[in-house]
Amino acid sequence: MSDLNRFRYTMESCNHCGQCKWILPHRMSGWDFAEVCPIHSHFGFDAYSGQGLINIAREVMEGRLERTDELAAMVQTCAGCGACDVNCKSVRDMEVLETIFELRRDLAETGHLPDACRRMAENVSAGRDPFGVPQAERFSWLPEDFREDPEADVALFAGCSAARDPAPVLAAMKILKAGGVPFRLMTEDERCCGAALWRSGQQSAAEKLVRHNADAFHRAGIRTVVTVCGECFGAFRSIYPRFGETEFRSVHISQIAADLILQGRLSFRRDLPPLTVTWHDPCMLGRLSEEYVPWEGEIRSYGLHVPEKHWNRGEFGVYREPRDVLAAIPGVETREMTRRMEEAWCCGYWSGLADPECAAATAGERVREARAAGAEVVVTSCPFCKTALSGGTDPLPVVDLAVLIAGRLA
Amino acid sequence: MSLPKAVYEELEKVVGSRNISDKEYVLAGNRAQTPEIPVRHRSADAIVLPGSTEEVAEIVRICRRHGVRYVGTVSGGIPTAYATEENTILIHFKRMNRILEINEKDRYAVVEPGVRHVQLYPEVRKRGLSYTAAAVGPGGSVLVNIACTGGDHHNQYGSSRPTRYLLGVEMVTPEGEILRTGSLEAGAGWFCPESAGPSLRGIVKGYSGNAGHIGIVTKCAIALDRCKGPAATRTEGVSPHSRIYMDDECSRVYVFNYSSIQDVGRAMLALGESEVGATVQKYFYLPLSLMMTSSANEFWEKWDGFRKAFPMPLVVHLAPHSVREREYEEKILFDVVRETGGVRLPRELERWWEEHMDYFMIVSRLQSVLRLGGSWLPIKTGGESVRHLCDIGDSIREFIHDFTDTGKIFDAPQNYQIIPMEYGHFASFELLFMWDRTDPNSFRYMQEFCAASRETDLKHHAHSMTAGGYGRAGEALGRLYCDCHLWAGRIRHSFDPDFDPDA
Ligand SMILES: Cc1cc2nc3c(=O)[nH]c(=O)nc-3n(C[C@H](O)[C@H](O)[C@H](O)COP(=O)(O)OP(=O)(O)OC[C@H]3O[C@@H](n4cnc5c(N)ncnc54)[C@H](O)[C@@H]3O)c2cc1C
Ligand code: SF4
Ligand code: SF4
Repeated sequence: MSDLNRFRYTMESCNHCGQCKWILPHRMSGWDFAEVCPIHSHFGFDAYSGQGLINIAREVMEGRLERTDELAAMVQTCAGCGACDVNCKSVRDMEVLETIFELRRDLAETGHLPDACRRMAENVSAGRDPFGVPQAERFSWLPEDFREDPEADVALFAGCSAARDPAPVLAAMKILKAGGVPFRLMTEDERCCGAALWRSGQQSAAEKLVRHNADAFHRAGIRTVVTVCGECFGAFRSIYPRFGETEFRSVHISQIAADLILQGRLSFRRDLPPLTVTWHDPCMLGRLSEEYVPWEGEIRSYGLHVPEKHWNRGEFGVYREPRDVLAAIPGVETREMTRRMEEAWCCGYWSGLADPECAAATAGERVREARAAGAEVVVTSCPFCKTALSGGTDPLPVVDLAVLIAGRLA
Repeated sequence: MSLPKAVYEELEKVVGSRNISDKEYVLAGNRAQTPEIPVRHRSADAIVLPGSTEEVAEIVRICRRHGVRYVGTVSGGIPTAYATEENTILIHFKRMNRILEINEKDRYAVVEPGVRHVQLYPEVRKRGLSYTAAAVGPGGSVLVNIACTGGDHHNQYGSSRPTRYLLGVEMVTPEGEILRTGSLEAGAGWFCPESAGPSLRGIVKGYSGNAGHIGIVTKCAIALDRCKGPAATRTEGVSPHSRIYMDDECSRVYVFNYSSIQDVGRAMLALGESEVGATVQKYFYLPLSLMMTSSANEFWEKWDGFRKAFPMPLVVHLAPHSVREREYEEKILFDVVRETGGVRLPRELERWWEEHMDYFMIVSRLQSVLRLGGSWLPIKTGGESVRHLCDIGDSIREFIHDFTDTGKIFDAPQNYQIIPMEYGHFASFELLFMWDRTDPNSFRYMQEFCAASRETDLKHHAHSMTAGGYGRAGEALGRLYCDCHLWAGRIRHSFDPDFDPDA
């Protein structure tokens, strides 16, 4: 059951400084690209921001603001990107994003949830993935001649998006093969990682998926789960530990590729045309991928947490490896965007569950930034980011990192 | 209570339906209780997001016609940016966020209220310019800070107080008239705050700003300084452990500890006479300790060591143009420190400063004073001679121990800063204190502390010290205490005949 009261300290500590809306000074570059919260940028009102949402959570908790479907829809416009959280935590000990998720959970558990979110859970209960693909078709894209290594304790987690666009997973398979990394696919037992449900406030529906996957890994003797999708990666790192599921280690394909390159086990073609790219940090691969460490305790005077609390401040996301990989591919030049790494601007995909217009504006803003950085192509490692950034009226080509690597292997 | 439908519709016609709301959840974003005050902010009845001066003027006229109050807000970082009475709307400047001009030759920038420090600062740096930075953080409004609220900034040593940085102003009076001041009014541009006759700048900004009392400021020009640093600061790392690189040859920080504030003052004056240093300040040791740690727990682990290691730190930043100039400045600095009894602190501490030594970045980190729960208040935010401020610093011990020793406020008796400006002709002061907001009596203790501070200021003839409140509290102290609220009331009355200055 949700318990907003756990975040009372956060709600009461906010002094409305606005740091959750604006880029931190070490990444500032000028007037443009200075905002970090997509919904604040789009709607303009303070309610649409980390600061606003925790104020709303407080009023809901204290019974001063009514729980309604309209409120739930408003709360779900938030992309859950965590930029507010990282910025607030650059100088404070507050859990802004956790409070937003708890507010969603509170609203969902009291029956207030946008239809698009509700449908995801209904799909799962009906034996489909959250986006409607039946379990039986989850691996329909798998080449018939695929042979896994039955002894491997490494599983490549395909993720739901493979059913729509298998290219990134096929590319990851090629990279693992080229690097001599034995792996398996969980063709029978893999289910959605649960991130979409968890982040929309449907924690108990998410828990079922978490338990199922963790149990499947356990039964198959899997020690390492390789992900291609940033969302799945972030889920394994930041959601599974909430349910005590920490037996396996998750690694992103960019980390494996970076390692293989370092060991000289991947080599690239040199005859392909040059390409100027920019790396878009998916939130769940970057700032939201730090391992969740549960904390229960007391907050004493002047913020002393007893026992000491571990803070995820977005510092240790997967930022370096994708950039190292891009730097190692001959002919690929990377241009950085102003809002990058822990300050990356979100693609906006998840806002679309409640407000497609806001989602499109967010994605459009990212494409504008990529173009301003001088990129011809956006490279990322999350199918949701890819979908969001490829839409819109004036998109740039978006390429999955694994696809780019695999396409340039010698 | 909500606005009458007809008024809402009139406002909606001005800003468009996307830019006005009276939905409860939207209003909830701007009425939260903030940790420094024990009462909830009153809810506004609607929030409007105007896009231009003309829209602001129209909104003000509608409000005036219907007897609706209005309050301007940008980040809402200070408690006056909220509704205080029924029948009030918030005018939020999110959409008025253009930098209208950066004039490199005459060194000024013209901004709208929604432009944040983190937007303007890098733009002027690209052009080799800079301006004094407030500790308000990246999201604070430049215009509000320079024209409406805010007091002194941390890097004023070689320049002057922000009041002097306010140039031409465009504002909407309570009657909905658009007023322009200084050279702007004469059609001569933004560069000059005054024309013939009394200066309106003093009325708009005064010592620390009128917080929107006289009218809504819709544009202003701020003066810019030449910047000694690079066009963009090179940074590395990921928050919260990012660092910056300054040219080591031409940027050095030295930190000295003193045992007496009078000696610090002597050092400041001697350095000022030689015009040595880009920034010189007696810094607060509590924020410094908070900035150097990454969590409240880490702070608590190290605080005892910090308070013993640097109870009274003098921070000197040298930003010379050449190695020779640096060597010259260092020689003078070390002579002055030797003569005044300063002790250089370990290089490690100086390195921390150097790794953050872009003043804007440092003051942005100063928001970490709110890490300990967010209950804080700067008091004695006044400006006087360096010597007088050192006496004020000394006088703090006359009353503070009654509060720190009994746990009524945070135990940091030396937590004040003195920033000399204009090379020591003048200086600003700030005593920053915190209290434990979980203690039900904390608000009373905070008020008692302010009162004790005020009494001490009166005793020592500290004429310009503010004490965390105007109005009746100040009035009760008599004429020695600032009566700016009375003046402001009368001036407002002349702009706004409906306003009763004696109410
Ligand atoms: C931790 C912290 C440290 C600070 N340190 C410093 C410091 O070192 N130096 C310093 O100078 N200041 C400091 N400040 C205060 C700061 O300067 C002001 O809070 C800030 O400049 C105001 O910007 P804002 O966007 O927060 O304005 P808001 O809080 O939104 O508004 C401030 C006031 O101005 C009024 N206002 C807003 N817009 C307009 C307008 N267009 N026209 C007329 N009135 C308007 C509001 O009604 C309100 O009364 C500090 C504040 C904090 C929270
Ligand atoms: S949530 Fe954090 S960063 Fe945002 S206004 Fe509140 S204290 Fe500031
Ligand atoms: S999570 Fe992202 S979209 Fe949501 S409030 Fe925070 S910054 Fe804004």
